[in-house]
Amino acid sequence: MIKIENLVKRYGKLLALDHLNLEIEEGEIYGLLGPNGSGKTTAISCMLALLKYDKGTISIFGEEMSPDNYGIKQQIGIVLQNVAVFDELTVYENIDYFCGLYVKNSQERKKLVAEAIEFVGLEEYIKMRPKKLSGGLLRRLNIACGIAHKPRLIIMDEPTVAVDPQSRNRILEGIQELNRQGSTIIYTSHYMEEVEQICTKIAIMDHGRSIAVGTKEELKSMIKTGETVTIEAVVLGTDQIKDIRLLPHVFDVKYDEQVLTVRCTGAKHNLIRILNYLQENEISFGRVFSELPTLNDVFLEITGKELRD
Amino acid sequence: MTVFKGYMKIVKANIGLILMYLVIFLGITMMIQAVTKDTGGGSYSAESVQIGIVDEDGGVLAEGVKDYLGQFHDVTLMENDKEKLQESLFYRNLEYIVKIPGGFEEKCLEDGEKLEVTKVPGSYTSFYVDQQITSFLNSVKTYYAAGYSASDAVDSALDRQDASIKMMDINGNAGEIPGYTYYYRYIPYLLLCVLCYVLGNILSAFRKGDIPKRMQASAVSSRRQNLEALLAAGILGGALWAVCIAGGFLLYGKELLKSSSIPYYLINSLALLFVVLALAYLVGMLTSNTNALNGIVNTISLGMCFLSGVFVPLDILNKEVKTVAQFLPIYWYEKVNDTLSQFGNITGSVRAEVLQSIGIQLVFAAAIVCVAMALSKKKRIAA
Repeated sequence: MIKIENLVKRYGKLLALDHLNLEIEEGEIYGLLGPNGSGKTTAISCMLALLKYDKGTISIFGEEMSPDNYGIKQQIGIVLQNVAVFDELTVYENIDYFCGLYVKNSQERKKLVAEAIEFVGLEEYIKMRPKKLSGGLLRRLNIACGIAHKPRLIIMDEPTVAVDPQSRNRILEGIQELNRQGSTIIYTSHYMEEVEQICTKIAIMDHGRSIAVGTKEELKSMIKTGETVTIEAVVLGTDQIKDIRLLPHVFDVKYDEQVLTVRCTGAKHNLIRILNYLQENEISFGRVFSELPTLNDVFLEITGKELRD
Repeated sequence: MTVFKGYMKIVKANIGLILMYLVIFLGITMMIQAVTKDTGGGSYSAESVQIGIVDEDGGVLAEGVKDYLGQFHDVTLMENDKEKLQESLFYRNLEYIVKIPGGFEEKCLEDGEKLEVTKVPGSYTSFYVDQQITSFLNSVKTYYAAGYSASDAVDSALDRQDASIKMMDINGNAGEIPGYTYYYRYIPYLLLCVLCYVLGNILSAFRKGDIPKRMQASAVSSRRQNLEALLAAGILGGALWAVCIAGGFLLYGKELLKSSSIPYYLINSLALLFVVLALAYLVGMLTSNTNALNGIVNTISLGMCFLSGVFVPLDILNKEVKTVAQFLPIYWYEKVNDTLSQFGNITGSVRAEVLQSIGIQLVFAAAIVCVAMALSKKKRIAA
């Protein structure tokens, strides 16, 4: 459905996209995950022909994307990072206006606008101006403006930034519902939990490149980490840290401000082995956590830095 | 026409702001033009001087001098009391004292003797009386020399009619500048301020945050978006222009309707509207910040109006300023306005000059639109 090959975009000396390659199939919720400045928004802007790029090709629905290809644009809906609505218009007028950029027939548009309002749950606010809406409601309005014309492809650029957890969950559920209704979705975020929760395929981006692509299971299977054990309020000496590092399946130990973080490969009983060692050596400790690998671990192992650095 | 409808909805949402600006600037325009128009008249009215006459002669010529000055001034007969006369001058009861000595008639007619006068120091009106006395006595002497008796010479000089001057009304406006010219002179300021503020605010709504990206990614072409935006701006500008013109008819209805130049005034103001619309569009492109917009609009409107003869008539501007002003479209509007005010009938070369200046305004408008479009495209690509 979308094929991006060797995409290069420079801002002066800064290389924003470095031979980016992506392939997105119809029906997917495709997540672009990466820290701020990794090139997610630039990639989306190039896909939408909002930016000229230096090299590479972008094809959508089998056609080459260009600023004048209104046939492709007709089938795309966008939900941008910053809320893009008119303060002067009401909720209804805003959705109607942006839907009108795609749907000329007023009767059909009326129906679509009503459906979009119901979809995002803004029925009670249709006569209100955006300035009177809360942050969460505003984000929902922003989404309604982008999806009212029922596009085949929806591109969402960090639509949950600065949204309260309740509204965020509602938005994420809504995105999954849109996908069930038949839309392909490209979703960018630097919140790995969101991407893990909704995306069927994920591309991890860093420095303008796609460094790993796959389902979340495939991505996690690419790395050594099978379990991360964290123990708080523990006092250890250098020899004891060395001993822990020598325990079976342990491949990385970090000790900082009385917090011990141990990364182990996917074998069983890692937590028991570590706790046994502490008990045998009469070392007291506070809270204990055991986590399965996250996308942050994937990012950490591949790039050597945290996703949110 | 979604984009057009969107603009009109935002115009509707801003109607309070539009009316506020319109009332403020229309009020300022009417006030300024009224003040300027009133300063034109009354500068050259003859003044009446308090004159005291001491007549020690009592002859025909002395009577003639009294009668003659009495036609123009307040004349009081005084006794030859030096102290009283000086007191009257000191307290400004009199500005001018004429002393006609005994035997003056003979001495004046035969030997050309002049009258003895005393006047308030520094009084410019005294020179005016000096001239009148000299003129009257010269006339009497001329008649006398021609063989008239002293009595007939005085009567003839008194009866003498002022020369009849007939003004050749070459320009067809009887040498007068019509009042509505002042109104039309200030229209650029009104249009510039209101349209730049209002359109600037409306355009800024379309450039806020990620709205331009959303518009650009939509299925409506940029060209169509621009055209629909221009159409909306044109309708708004047209409505404002109609209000301005209606204001002129309201103030100078009969005078304007009688004028044969009114079509030219209308065409000129319409050309100005295109220029201002283009400028407002450009200003709207430059910034989406309301504070910056205020600064830009003030600079452009006041700067252009001062340089182009809106606040200061073109005749008063010096050559260098006029040379600079030629690069501003408002100058050409004011040039047409000035020409129309000087000529009641527009024919031949004057018409050509007027149409040429209107054409130059339209070229300016087209050039500004091109700059705005180029800027818009550059911003779009850079976004």
